[in-house]
Amino acid sequence: MASKPPAPFQFPREYSFPPFFTPQTNLTTHHAQQTKWAALVLAYCRHYRIFRLSISPSPATASSQSAPPHDTSDLFHNKQLNRRLSPAHIRSVIDFLRKDGRAEYLDPKGSGDVAYVYWQTPEEWAGIIESWVEGTAQKGSVLTVYELVEGENTRGSEFWGMDRDVLIKALGVLVKRGKAQIFGQEDSLGVKFF
Amino acid sequence: MGSSPSRITPEDQAILDLKTQRDKLHQYQRRILILTDKETEIAKQLLAANDKPRALLALRRKKYQQSLLAQTDSQLEQLEKLTQSVEFALIQKDVVFGLQQGTKVLKEIHKEMGGIENVEKLMGETADAIAYQQEVSEMLGGKISNQDEDEVEAELEALEAEINGTATKHSGDVLPNVPDTRLPAIESRRQREDNKQGNKVIESREAILA
Repeated sequence: MASKPPAPFQFPREYSFPPFFTPQTNLTTHHAQQTKWAALVLAYCRHYRIFRLSISPSPATASSQSAPPHDTSDLFHNKQLNRRLSPAHIRSVIDFLRKDGRAEYLDPKGSGDVAYVYWQTPEEWAGIIESWVEGTAQKGSVLTVYELVEGENTRGSEFWGMDRDVLIKALGVLVKRGKAQIFGQEDSLGVKFF
Repeated sequence: MGSSPSRITPEDQAILDLKTQRDKLHQYQRRILILTDKETEIAKQLLAANDKPRALLALRRKKYQQSLLAQTDSQLEQLEKLTQSVEFALIQKDVVFGLQQGTKVLKEIHKEMGGIENVEKLMGETADAIAYQQEVSEMLGGKISNQDEDEVEAELEALEAEINGTATKHSGDVLPNVPDTRLPAIESRRQREDNKQGNKVIESREAILA
């Protein structure tokens, strides 16, 4: 999963097409452009396992402590073409993703600068965690959130090294389904699976 | 969040506390590992700058940190052992509870059966009833079975005849396709068969008439 030298992301054809970086005025074209951008952002984040994307040009805050933050400047900035997507346009792409439930601002008011990108939605993560719990016969056992993200037991599972907040959201889905319960203090959260 | 009443027992809370403690030690170890790496780096740089005493100091610090690491390792082991003992004790508790329930139910069922004497009495009665039933069957059985036997045998014979009849018919269908070099032999066989079939047709007609 966390291959040591991550292979560089293969950008799609549109990435080297200059008008791709300019907001299109034609509604149909605009929609196609947004769809392409949304797919590109998701694929890019999935490739580098990025959970949080920053809209400002500064490098994204990849919050998982184990993986070094990946410089996402090349996602919205094609250096070869010297074209970049304006922050306003990036925001519109994020909004487009939000409509699909594939992104969410850290600040629920939607004004924040950093957004979660759900290349797996919390529901999908919840499913992955649930099947892991069942596969490893951990029903009824107590696990710490730290253990889930960085423990030795979960190394190699899909959610190893994932964003803590996204993980907690995914666990929240399981809690709603009655499959888990979160307890403990803020900095030492634990979860019990049922 | 908690629509259902909390399913977290104090034991769960205790396990969580143990596990968070373990996680903290884990993090501490990682911090120290980074530190030791840094100390070696510092020592190297100081040696390059020809500052031996301070390089030695850095290496000593590293040594001390490594001893800390070993200590935390043993502490981690203790914690993990304790966690596992707690978890195992919980399972044992469940097992004992299960055994208790099982014994209780078994006892209740035994009580419903009303003791060994009752069972013995019942078994005696059952044996009597079976013996009586056998007697009755024997008395009734003899005559009926003779009559039945004849009928059954007759039916069997009829079935056998039917099956054999169809079997010969089938072989009659297949035979002409088999190549044979001695023509006269085939002819004679065919003739015979024709005769047979002719006979059969007559027979069946008779049967229908009858």
